[in-house]
Amino acid sequence: MSCGAVMSRSSFLIFVSAVFVSILMQTTFLTVFLTSPFKPDLLLVILVFIALRSSYEIGTPVAWMLGLLKDVFGGLYLGMNSFTFLIIFLIIKGMADRLYAESCFLFVFAVIGATLACVSGNMLLLVFTNTPGIAYTIGYNLIPHLLTNAFAASLVALLPGFTEDEDMA
Amino acid sequence: MDYFKKYVLLIVAGAVILLSLIFYLVNIPKSREANLIERTALSVFAPAMMPVQKASLYFRGAWDEYINLVNVRRENKKLQDKIKDLNNEILAGRETQQANVRLTKLLEMKSNVKASTLSATVIGEDVSSWFSTIVIDRGSSSGLKEGMAVVAAEGVVGQIVKVSSSSSRVLLLTDHASGIAATIQRSRARGVVKGKGEGLCSLEFTTREEDVKVGDIVIASGIGGIFMKGLPIGEVTMVRRGEYGIFQTVTIRPAVNSSHLEEVLVVLRGGYE
Repeated sequence: MSCGAVMSRSSFLIFVSAVFVSILMQTTFLTVFLTSPFKPDLLLVILVFIALRSSYEIGTPVAWMLGLLKDVFGGLYLGMNSFTFLIIFLIIKGMADRLYAESCFLFVFAVIGATLACVSGNMLLLVFTNTPGIAYTIGYNLIPHLLTNAFAASLVALLPGFTEDEDMA
Repeated sequence: MDYFKKYVLLIVAGAVILLSLIFYLVNIPKSREANLIERTALSVFAPAMMPVQKASLYFRGAWDEYINLVNVRRENKKLQDKIKDLNNEILAGRETQQANVRLTKLLEMKSNVKASTLSATVIGEDVSSWFSTIVIDRGSSSGLKEGMAVVAAEGVVGQIVKVSSSSSRVLLLTDHASGIAATIQRSRARGVVKGKGEGLCSLEFTTREEDVKVGDIVIASGIGGIFMKGLPIGEVTMVRRGEYGIFQTVTIRPAVNSSHLEEVLVVLRGGYE
């Protein structure tokens, strides 16, 4: 896996397209077919992919921006998910160098772990807001959300080129 | 002899023609009776004629059917296309009819709201599972501001929280961060409707002594100036009064089903500067 500091043009285009499509899917397309607890967090899946494949130099601002995008299209509190995403990226990235990052199983498990971390981070940060009872809603939605994210991750792992040495960074 | 040999062909041909003419002339009076030749020929050919006839009919039928089949296939394709077109027209008609019903209701609400309103279409939902917001296709270029009320034909939808030039995000009534001053229509008991998630709300700060019953209609009290007094919010589905505590627990089902929301009205008054 290459760990340079510059993202190639094709990787950049694929990344931007993936983010764009994910947001459109999550805000418009999937909401027609899926009820709220079963909404996948596609941006989180992208974050995990970036954390496993890219360098710190590129991944860190990208993780923060992905979180920011999630905040723009979900919830009220700008900065909450960007903070959580950044922490998740740094944790996964810290471990990714010692792991076989191309493994599909690792990717799915990393997404499950990231989902739990994201939920925990959100709950901690929401303590500072006036949203009584949101912990119950988050807890109620957690299992389906976790399973849907794992399913989405397993689908991503099936994409052609996933196990190849990607030039993300 | 040489003369005979020279004209043998002509003589034989003439004789044959003559014989056949004689044969014909002899048989004219017996034209309705089969002679020996006729009978023999008929007897010989009759057994073979039937299967050949059947086979001929079969092949003619098969040919006709093939030709028909080609036509039928063509006609079938044409009819299927026509059915598809008609089905599309029926679907479009139904969609128009449903849109008409929805928009008529929205117009009724528009006439009930004593302020200028702007219609908007829902174009997206919240990406998160535990927040309840929607995105509408109107923004600051249409005069929208944060804090403006959003209503649907059935009642209160929520409040605008984020505005861009061409779209806005609406915080739904059911979000945990939402709060609207409300009144029970029958008993005039007051409280604050707060979002509970999972498509439900609760009426908070209603004291135990207040008269609240299941089935009561909850309306906006008008306090705060964002939502006009009398706008329907929902219906009480559960009331619980514990042995202790000052307040009672009241659960409300919102009048507007936000998961099926397509068009909304934004009340163009108030809003944060």
